[in-house]
Amino acid sequence: MSHVDRTPGRARVGILLIVAIGLLWTLVPLLWMALSSFKSAGDVTAAEPKLFFEPTLRNYQRLFSGANNLGPYIWHSMLAAGISSVLALIVGTIAGYGLSTTRMRGKKHVAFWIISTRMAPIAVVVLPLFLLFRGAGLIDSIPGLVLAYLTFNLPFAIWLMSAFFTEVPAALQESALVEGCTRWQAFWHVVLPLTKSGLVTTFVLCLVFSWNDYAFALVFGGPNSQTLPIAADQLVTQTGIDWGQLTAIGTIVVLPMMLAGLAVRRWLVTGLTLGAVTGE
Amino acid sequence: MTTTLETPPRTDPPRPTRRRPRLGFSAGMMAPGIVLLAILSIVPLLTIIAMSFSRVRLLGGVGFDGAGLTYWVRLFTDIDLAMQWVRTIVFFALTVGLEMLLGLIFALCLWKLMRGRNAILSLFLLPMFVAPVIVGLLGRFLTDSTFGLYSWLLGLIGYQGDILGGQYSAFAAVVAMDIWEWTPLITLIALAGLTSVPASVREAAAIDGANPWQTLRHVILPSISGVLLVALLIRSMDAIRYFDIIAVTTNGGPADATKVVPIRLYETAFRFFDLGYAAAIGLVMLAVTIAIARAFVGVLERKGLTR
Amino acid sequence: MGNSVSQPLDRRAVLRGALAGGAALALGGAAGGCATHQDAKRIATDNRWRQFAGTTLNFVSESTAPTAAIADNLDPFVELTGIRVNIVTLELSAMTQKVALDLAGGQSQYQLIYADPYNVLAPYSKGLVDLRELAEDPSLPSMEGGFDDFIDTQFDAAGKFGDGDEVFAIPYDCPTIIWQYRADLFEKYHDRMAADLGFDPTPGLERTWEQYFKIANWFTRNADEVPYGTGHQAKQHGSLMCDFSNVLWAFGGDYFADGERVGRFGVRDPGPCQLASDEAIAAAEFYHRLLSIADPSSISWDWNGLSPAFRAGRFAMCPDWHENAAGNEEAFPGKMGYAPLPKGPARSANHYGGTGISISANTLPNERKAAWLFVVWSTSVRTQLDGLKSEVGGGTPTRESVYGLPEVKAAERRPSKMPNILTAPTMRQAWAPENIGLRPKIPMWNECETTIYTQLSRMLAGELSPADAMREAATRIDRITERGWVS
Repeated sequence: MSHVDRTPGRARVGILLIVAIGLLWTLVPLLWMALSSFKSAGDVTAAEPKLFFEPTLRNYQRLFSGANNLGPYIWHSMLAAGISSVLALIVGTIAGYGLSTTRMRGKKHVAFWIISTRMAPIAVVVLPLFLLFRGAGLIDSIPGLVLAYLTFNLPFAIWLMSAFFTEVPAALQESALVEGCTRWQAFWHVVLPLTKSGLVTTFVLCLVFSWNDYAFALVFGGPNSQTLPIAADQLVTQTGIDWGQLTAIGTIVVLPMMLAGLAVRRWLVTGLTLGAVTGE
Repeated sequence: MTTTLETPPRTDPPRPTRRRPRLGFSAGMMAPGIVLLAILSIVPLLTIIAMSFSRVRLLGGVGFDGAGLTYWVRLFTDIDLAMQWVRTIVFFALTVGLEMLLGLIFALCLWKLMRGRNAILSLFLLPMFVAPVIVGLLGRFLTDSTFGLYSWLLGLIGYQGDILGGQYSAFAAVVAMDIWEWTPLITLIALAGLTSVPASVREAAAIDGANPWQTLRHVILPSISGVLLVALLIRSMDAIRYFDIIAVTTNGGPADATKVVPIRLYETAFRFFDLGYAAAIGLVMLAVTIAIARAFVGVLERKGLTR
Repeated sequence: MGNSVSQPLDRRAVLRGALAGGAALALGGAAGGCATHQDAKRIATDNRWRQFAGTTLNFVSESTAPTAAIADNLDPFVELTGIRVNIVTLELSAMTQKVALDLAGGQSQYQLIYADPYNVLAPYSKGLVDLRELAEDPSLPSMEGGFDDFIDTQFDAAGKFGDGDEVFAIPYDCPTIIWQYRADLFEKYHDRMAADLGFDPTPGLERTWEQYFKIANWFTRNADEVPYGTGHQAKQHGSLMCDFSNVLWAFGGDYFADGERVGRFGVRDPGPCQLASDEAIAAAEFYHRLLSIADPSSISWDWNGLSPAFRAGRFAMCPDWHENAAGNEEAFPGKMGYAPLPKGPARSANHYGGTGISISANTLPNERKAAWLFVVWSTSVRTQLDGLKSEVGGGTPTRESVYGLPEVKAAERRPSKMPNILTAPTMRQAWAPENIGLRPKIPMWNECETTIYTQLSRMLAGELSPADAMREAATRIDRITERGWVS
């Protein structure tokens, strides 16, 4: 791309300046959180912020010992977010393909209805879902959380995947059908491999949404299914907030999602563009 | 609610001969997802509608006693709620507006930047992956008047007030936290749109003697407006219903300065257990969100960006 | 919602899909396990403590210091009974939400409930077990000293609701707001302050709020060690109501008529709100004045923000929960002082914020008995004593007898192994019936409280005058109580 060369020097300095400010604005809080998690109690809340200090692992050690052991929380989070995202991806991919190929009238209405199910305010859907789940014995269980996360992941997955499928040239499918493939075979062997980036994008976004969820986990979770964001909330106690431990837990919650996000960033960009350009 | 759409039924293109089986196949593919979604959404929706006309008892099994229009009458005479809607609209406009603006500016800068674009983008995307609860708690940590890094920095340049203690500063702070978390999403989408603008379009503009500003205004922006609209749609859906950041930081204070409708809704439902009224507030929120989303989708459709 | 799939669809295809969807749900249901609730198993044994060995109980609690201490020290209970206890701790409003939903369904996740008298007990007393049945059950270990060992006012405030004799909860913790101050600074400046102000500034029941104000102002102007004299928990939050109430009662105001009964026993319908009275308005005016000279960040601190700020040396004194003493002692070893809050025209009022532990009425018979074992153990002399020594928190005892133990008596003086007990002499005064402050125990308190702290916050922000804030709060509270309560 040759346009860069034509950017005048002054403008280039301006651009670099904006980028630098943007990066500072973005990264300082995260770096500060990570840094604070290695500080001793006194250093974390020092009136004059300390950049240099004696690092300690005590905050992390305390998170994994005693009454507060974080181990099970991490496991619950992984299970609930992981299974829910996989399910959302499978059901969403199949339904998304159906949506993108169907010729029925009112298709747009169906598409809009699907995404509109994600718009309901959390605080009010929680009570009816709670009653529904209690009847099914799903409260305080991983399957319960999985289903709860599906309420927001499934519409998102259907919507996004349908957009990706619309991008696949219809001619490819037609020729597969002409060659004697069944509809399913055409979908499985021809279309699906072409939407790999879409699959990855959808999965990761679902994973991020459910991993980070607080409102649903608070209501549907319990001693056997407590997740990480709830554990963070538990550190807000009546006598004060243990910021050392809290920044440590923040780092633990954030790190895996960042790594997952960064690992698939390449697909994320193409994925979202495709999804974006085709709208619903 | 989707029946209000006034687009004429679409005229389908000529169909291949295998029409019947295709319809069946597609519908069959859609069915599991739709059924699951219907169970997870229609049952709750009907319950919420019923709730908004009832007094809800919790103890000894949930029970609904008819309350007629009590809650709806209260809804339309509630001055506090009206104020909270105004605040919500300001919050919505500020966060989504600034996120769009900053996200676009940053995307343009990155687009002009050849070297290191990917590395910088990766770093810039990080806040998107942070749980909103953590964003709120982190915000509280950074703005604490005793040991907060940002309070300290502001103190160096002469600002002595307590950030979450002042009405305007607290509002600005929660807006800033939301912007911090979600601007990257806009940047990501906008940049993706920008990279797909054909080089020939830009060349043509340059040959016509357009200056960079004119090129941006008349060539580049129009060609990514569809993408930007979708970004707007994605953000709007969540901007109205998310409340984690405010709940963790100010919880509506000081002097109600940050009490937006979702906070009021949460409080009505789960602090006061005034569930009938909460249902009424929630239904209005849902209607507003759908109206906004409809409007954006409508624009998209007029632009011919959906298929 | 929408005209989803009313088009000519292939019926078989839809059916197939529906089956698949149903199967997915059923699968979830099956994996979720026991839809029918099983009672705990009772084993034949002579040991009354061990009859439910192997059971697992769930306890939902606010994240408080006493629960932190108990969670840290559960082994003795497991050894004693063979019962496992999962403790879920949450911030107060999140906990209230969880408890209400849990009581709503007919079968409970949580057998043991931290029953905050105002957020849980008053609205949901019908969902809690009358503990007298269990206390009288001969097949269960009895409570040492019976109910009488608990401090009287606390036993009523934390455990009872309404006119009945039912006991819904056993006093579990008892945080109360008292005057906490930097004794080192008071000592250093004592003479200068006394000369400047014209009275003896030593904190105690003889001081008035007006004098508290003057002392605070004096520190702000004259002491180099601390930028401000006083700090407060005045965020738009329940803590603001708590902090203000001390002043309100001291000035002779109250939320409702017959405040003592409404506070100690609780009522369903409290009658008209009294906040528009002259006394209440005078209290609000004073509170407004006091906050105008306090550390300006006070308006962003709730109860978990105030103590850390105090420990950071931002002010010389504050009204703070007495359980925070342990942490403050750590920050200023040997330099802390405690006293009951100053008096106003009417009295000294020290806001009690204690809570009882209770059992959900949704429990099955054996489960209920197993839960009772935990109630007895967690409020026992031994456990309360261990709580005092805990390194991760701990509250102060709710039993008279624990305060009488020689070991505890000895700890009232420095150096103390039980820093929280340094407040004991103060607490004896603060909990005296004439000095304790009890907020109204009414089912709709959550909403009333929100109104109070919201109007107060508006007053502190300068949007409302103190008189208008009180009148506005009174009108709104009347509207709330008029609606009544359906639980």
